Amino acid sequence: MLKVRIRKNLPGFNLDVAFAVNQEILAVIGPSGSGKTMTMLCIAGLIQPDEGYIRLNSKVLYDSDSGLNLPPQQRRVGFVFQNYALFPHLTVRDNIAFGIRHLSRQEVEDRVWRLLDKMHIQELGHRYPRQLSAGQQQRVALGRALAPEPEVLLMDEPFSALDTYVKEQLERELLALQHFYQGNILFVTHDLSEGYKLSSKIAVYESGRILQCDSKQQVIAAPANRAVARLTGVRNLMAGAVVEIEDSSVWVAVPELGGRLRVTIRDAAQLAIDQQVTIGIRAEYVQVADHLDENTFLGKVSQAVEGVASINYSVRVHGTATAGHDLEASLSKSEAPPIPIGQSCYLRLPPDRLCMIGG
Amino acid sequence: MTETYLSPLWISLKTVLTATAITFFMGIAAARWMARYQGKFRNLIDGIFILPLVLPPTVVGLGLLLLFGIHGPLGKLLKLFGASVVFSWPATVIAAAVVAFPLMYMTACGAFEQVEINIENAARTLGATEWRIFWSVTLPLALPGVAAGAILSLARSLGEFGATLMLAGSIPGRTTTIPIAIYFAVEAGDNNQTILLVLIVLAVAFGLLAALAYWKRRATNSGNRSLIPQNID
Repeated sequence: MLKVRIRKNLPGFNLDVAFAVNQEILAVIGPSGSGKTMTMLCIAGLIQPDEGYIRLNSKVLYDSDSGLNLPPQQRRVGFVFQNYALFPHLTVRDNIAFGIRHLSRQEVEDRVWRLLDKMHIQELGHRYPRQLSAGQQQRVALGRALAPEPEVLLMDEPFSALDTYVKEQLERELLALQHFYQGNILFVTHDLSEGYKLSSKIAVYESGRILQCDSKQQVIAAPANRAVARLTGVRNLMAGAVVEIEDSSVWVAVPELGGRLRVTIRDAAQLAIDQQVTIGIRAEYVQVADHLDENTFLGKVSQAVEGVASINYSVRVHGTATAGHDLEASLSKSEAPPIPIGQSCYLRLPPDRLCMIGG
Repeated sequence: MTETYLSPLWISLKTVLTATAITFFMGIAAARWMARYQGKFRNLIDGIFILPLVLPPTVVGLGLLLLFGIHGPLGKLLKLFGASVVFSWPATVIAAAVVAFPLMYMTACGAFEQVEINIENAARTLGATEWRIFWSVTLPLALPGVAAGAILSLARSLGEFGATLMLAGSIPGRTTTIPIAIYFAVEAGDNNQTILLVLIVLAVAFGLLAALAYWKRRATNSGNRSLIPQNID
């Protein structure tokens, strides 16, 4: 269990975060410069916060109240840097063995062999880092960090420098790693889908603060506020007012759509008539319909961007061609034929896919 | 005759080797200290270390004379032990070491700075003490730069004239280094000795250039600058 609460004044913003990780993988997501790497460096002891508290399992690593600040050497934190930071003058084997030199010769041999095996780089033991590809270097960096059996593994944008194929391979291997490495894992990424794939929990950062820290399903299905919705890629955000409340549904008048939406909710007790709310729905959940119905709107396609597997449409559903509101819909190419620009279509917003966002 | 001709060689050899050895360790120690020093006097100390490089050698010599002379603080201290450096062989070493020190120091600073901070940080997270990091990571990676610094300071020690003359004088067989011997040989019109000494100095100079080129090649090949992965996966 890793418990973190730190504050640090930095030029540009103030870092002020608190979170806990319990034998799980936490993805730290947010824009560049929002304090994600800084947090990791503080946990590792490479940078000192201004004040706070960091506890890893049974050991307190940092406590500003008592003046405790363990040096990185004593924290048992594994760190994989963004550019791997392998020792260029040492072979792969010596890189991996660097942190366990104090063990017996046999133990060192055993661990190095096991890690070379786990990282699928058995035949690279005697090569130097400059002779390896990026993906191979990444594996060595991971092996090196895991050799001393750290209590938490920190990874800073581990896959950002890799091409798609290698990235996918390593992502799968990281998931498999969980069977082998039982500690906590924290990794920083600016790629939401990568963070979602590999984690069980997501912390959303912006300007030095955590906007939401929850299970990944919660963060996606129920963003805490507009900022989180934006950062997690919710492309449809609309302002509305509550007009009717029932047990498990709420009707919201949305001027931008020129109509009202029914939203499925679990807890209507929080809401009141005339309350101002923000409704969000991911572009991927917007459906094409063939007739007007509840939560369905008629619109005209104003833009279509074709991706590899889906097409992103901007559909003008209300107002005129020059001033109005567009719904963003992302439709899989295998589910529906492409809709030409200018054509009319019905878009349905499923009530159970709509989320009510505070603030 | 041969003895007088060759004695500068022998003196210079002793002087240069001793001075370079001293400068090597002190330069590295000073560079390491400055790398970790966060205090307010950073710029001041850095300036003092580099000063002998910027000052004219005769001024450096004058400074040393004031320091080690009979009325100088260090001179008086040494007098207590019955020793005196002025106009003695150790003076050649002191003069050579002082003028060469800035070169070793600056080159070592540059070499240490070039070692990527993340590499040292990685070593920290892996449990290595600061001492082990210096010996096993920083120094090996900074070696080409440090070696180049040693070569440069060796060259500077060899060529030292002004400060040496002031502090050590020109005592044949004791403090007459090669540059000093060349100067006086030209003055005296002794062409034979001049040519001989100049040729020796040129030979050494080319040797040093070759050594510098070797370390420069080592530096670009071993590449502790950020590795550009080959993508030969």
